[in-house]
Amino acid sequence: MATEAAPMDEKAKRMRDLLSSFYAPDPSISTSGSSINASFDNINSTSFDADQYMDLMIKKSNLEVLLQRHVQMAAEIKNLDTDLQMLVYENYNKFISATDTIKRMKSNIFGMEGNMDQLLQKIMSVQSKSDGVNTSLFEKREHIEKLHRTRNLLRKVQFIYDLPARLQKCIKSEAYGDAVRFYTGAMPILKVYGDTSFQDCRRASEEAIEIIIKNLQTKLFSDSESIQARAEAAVLLKQLDVPVDSLKAKLLEKLEQSLDGLQIKPEEASTLVEDDDSSNDTESNDQHPAKIHEDAVRGFSEAIRAYREIFPDSEERLFKLARALTAMHFEYMELYIKKRVSAADFLGIFRIVWEDVVLMDEVLPEAALSDLSAEAAQVTLKQFVARMFSHLQQDISDTLLKFDINQKEAVEGELLKVVLEASQKAVLQGTTNIFQDFRQLLDEKTGIFIKMKDLISGWIQKGSQDFFRSLEAQFLVLSGKTSSSNDIEGKSSDKIHAGLILVLAQLSVFIEQKVIPRVTEEIAASFSGGNSQAFENGPAFIPGELCRVFHAASEKLLQHYIDTRTQKVSVLLRKRFKTPNWVKHKEPREVHMYVDMFLHELEEVGKEVKQVLPQGTFRKHKRTDSNGSNTTTSSRSNTLHNDKMARSNSQRARSQLFETHLAKLFKQKVEIFTKVEFTQESVVTTTVKLCLKSLQEYVRLQTFNRSGFQQIQLDIQFLKAPLKEAVEDEAAIDFLLDEVIVAASERCLDVIPLEPPILDKLIQAKLAKSKEHNNNTVSS
Amino acid sequence: MQGGSSGIGYGLKYQSRCISDVKADTDYTSFLTGTLSLKEENEVHLLRLSSGGSELICEGLFSHPNEIWDLASCPFDQRIFSTVFSTGESFGAAIWQIPELYGQLNSPQLERVASLDAHVGKINCVLWWPSGRCDKLISIDEQNIFLWSLDCSKKSAEVLSKDSAGMLHSLSGGAWDPHDVNAVAATGESSVQFWDLRTMKKVNSIEHAHVRGVDYNPKREHILVTAEDESGIHVWDLRKAKVPVQELPGHTHWTWAVRCNPEYDGLILSAGTDSVVNLWYASATSSDDKTSESPVESTRQRVNPLLNSYTDYEDSVYGLAWSSREPWVFASLSYDGRVIIESVKPFLPRI
Repeated sequence: MATEAAPMDEKAKRMRDLLSSFYAPDPSISTSGSSINASFDNINSTSFDADQYMDLMIKKSNLEVLLQRHVQMAAEIKNLDTDLQMLVYENYNKFISATDTIKRMKSNIFGMEGNMDQLLQKIMSVQSKSDGVNTSLFEKREHIEKLHRTRNLLRKVQFIYDLPARLQKCIKSEAYGDAVRFYTGAMPILKVYGDTSFQDCRRASEEAIEIIIKNLQTKLFSDSESIQARAEAAVLLKQLDVPVDSLKAKLLEKLEQSLDGLQIKPEEASTLVEDDDSSNDTESNDQHPAKIHEDAVRGFSEAIRAYREIFPDSEERLFKLARALTAMHFEYMELYIKKRVSAADFLGIFRIVWEDVVLMDEVLPEAALSDLSAEAAQVTLKQFVARMFSHLQQDISDTLLKFDINQKEAVEGELLKVVLEASQKAVLQGTTNIFQDFRQLLDEKTGIFIKMKDLISGWIQKGSQDFFRSLEAQFLVLSGKTSSSNDIEGKSSDKIHAGLILVLAQLSVFIEQKVIPRVTEEIAASFSGGNSQAFENGPAFIPGELCRVFHAASEKLLQHYIDTRTQKVSVLLRKRFKTPNWVKHKEPREVHMYVDMFLHELEEVGKEVKQVLPQGTFRKHKRTDSNGSNTTTSSRSNTLHNDKMARSNSQRARSQLFETHLAKLFKQKVEIFTKVEFTQESVVTTTVKLCLKSLQEYVRLQTFNRSGFQQIQLDIQFLKAPLKEAVEDEAAIDFLLDEVIVAASERCLDVIPLEPPILDKLIQAKLAKSKEHNNNTVSS
Repeated sequence: MQGGSSGIGYGLKYQSRCISDVKADTDYTSFLTGTLSLKEENEVHLLRLSSGGSELICEGLFSHPNEIWDLASCPFDQRIFSTVFSTGESFGAAIWQIPELYGQLNSPQLERVASLDAHVGKINCVLWWPSGRCDKLISIDEQNIFLWSLDCSKKSAEVLSKDSAGMLHSLSGGAWDPHDVNAVAATGESSVQFWDLRTMKKVNSIEHAHVRGVDYNPKREHILVTAEDESGIHVWDLRKAKVPVQELPGHTHWTWAVRCNPEYDGLILSAGTDSVVNLWYASATSSDDKTSESPVESTRQRVNPLLNSYTDYEDSVYGLAWSSREPWVFASLSYDGRVIIESVKPFLPRI
């Protein structure tokens, strides 16, 4: 197969070369660039020289090569002859067909020349006739054109003369468009000849046009005309070159003045809502203020629509007007909610304002009133929610402070109990009511509210959180525990009654245990949305945190109450220990008066605590539970007693000091300052402990003689019985009372205690005196 | 002390109320304390912290004639100190000097440099100016403030000026402004009064009840800390003296003493009659930011300022002193005569 393919390719190539050389346009060009060596070897080129070629071959080659070359050339010559014959044979039919076609063409062309000569003759004849017709008609045509121009001129003159009458007719029939068109068309001629030929016509026409302009302006400003009519009037006025800007300004002034009538001022807002409510009862009432307001806004919207069609190219001022009205609506609404406003009333006003926005938005969608209103509505609604919480806090504060608490009334009339119950009710009912109002906000069907539903829930949650934290801060300020910012200006508020601090402490417990769980349920049930959008940092309402805050506040307030009461006793003790000269004290004759005052203070604490705090369930710490203390105390008393008989002053002092230290080591360590609980017993016990500790500290600051020491001994002995009845921790009280005696003995120059019989006698005398005093009080 | 968590203790024989840092001693961390015994011979103890910081050594024990109610070391001479003492019926104040070579004597006697004899009633305290060498002293009794000129070489003291606080005010103590040698704060029953020593007139006051102790912030001007009976601790900016800059809870019972750290701003010690010493960090000592905050914000940002409570005492703690040489060390003294040295290094704010 391969051997057969090679000769075929060579044969085809040779055929193509022969044909291309035959049809080449200029053979000499294709060979001009060849080199001398190439021309020698290339026997197919036109510059081939056979003799030169033979000479070169003979010189270079030997015989064998020459023979080989001869055989090769003979073979090629044979092949070329064969190919040429084949070519002629294959294309013979084509040559015959070409000859026949040429012959037929020759015969057809021969007959055409005669036909063309005939056609030329006919056309020449037509041209001659046409020239004749034109020549004969030329004169008549020129005459006709001249007459036509004259006729047009006469028609124009007639039109000018008829113009005033025509304008008057248009005025009567109110066809102002036609009138303007006529006048505008006549204007060029009137300008040129108005002072000469057509002076009367010009004057009359101008008078008519002035009437038309006046009528058009009247129509433009007329509200009873249709919008199309007013728009047409504006267009015609523009065509008459009347300055339209002043018209536009006048119309805008009119619109701006009408804004005042559209505002919903705070004093009118409640009237709108009330009449809106009453209109439900009497459906036939068509004159209530809400209806009037709606009609006014609708008229304003129609005016805007008219203006827009009359002046299509100046809308910016309209946008400003509409936005101004919308902004003013929301500003007045903010003023409105500064007062105490229910959710129903707020929604009523909001509905009216939103309807206004919808009316104007239909007329001016490009002004983006909906977006503007949405932003303003969010601000207003947010403020409304915050305002509701602020009012609630004010109610709670008023409830706490409206009772004029003074010392006697608080104790006798059980006023603290009343204040506590009233404030608890204010907090619980107030939060319940406020969430009912908020539920109305979520149930509102106005379009803007549906969009803001999540935002509203978020604001209510944050408002609740801020409300409780603000309430806690207010409690601390009310109690005097933290300083209010008002103190900076020097206006210090009056000192609050201690009982109210106790009420605040218990109220904080109530809020922590009852109110915050209730509010948490309300928020979970109705206001759980809005977290993902409004607060990226997490939920806005954190009841756990609030419970911790109020728990800490209640403990702080309770401690503050105890501190306040203790401070009062401390002042009493300070005066007691400051006044006498303890180094030169006289012999004790009776229990000192300050003991009565001290017990009276404790009695008041007991009464206040009984009104506000619950009773505890703790078991009283009986004396028998601390046998060690009992033994040690008895032992020390014996020691003090024996010292008198046997030893000198210095020896007694040294021995007593040692005895005291030894007794302390063996005494059961009593926890004095324990955590105070929210019970009557715990508060009274803590107060007593702190007061006795203060007593000890005051004793340490003094120096006593024997009589002074004995007076302290007598007072402390008298206190033991009533304090034991009042407190729940007997061991600590016993310890503290003993500490006072020890402190006094340490500060005494000459320690000789009173004999027990004398102590008993003086105490009994005091008790008898107290009983007699009580009897007199009862009888009076 | 290096590795242990409890403090180093030292026991005095008798009750005691006052302890003072020996500021002038730059070689050792030293404290002076005096006993308060009505019927026994009273003593002044010179206590020194050992080099390793693990032991408290009694470097000197000196006899003092009467019970000591107040003791303050001279800030520029480590051997000089002042005492307020009582014989039981009357009060006195004197300047004392520890004798040289006291270690070699069998029973060294204190030398009386001067007596402050102008007082009539009960004397509360003697103040030295804390910031450096100053030859003036202030003594405060219940009604009067005296300014003295002290001459140690001549062993005399003279009254330079004096003024009365009036019958309605009963003074209880005071502090000398380390930033202004002419300003003194005096504590009373119902207010803290500020006196100008050049005119010896009261120039300002804070109306606040039952202030028992007071101390100036040594690192910051115009900042004062007060200790009150039931109200706890307040931090004041004297330029806006109506409302305190900060409130700290204080103690379960009275807060008796407060001391500002000499080196670390905001670090405050307090001692109370609940047998506790509390370490506080009061970070907000400027009132500019405070007034702009709402109460809610202030409540939310409140961090517990109590760094530590030291409860190793069995009785009320009256004496409290920071060391000037090692500012992280403090000494405390409870009524039963127990001195405890503690280090606050674990609680120092990170710098």
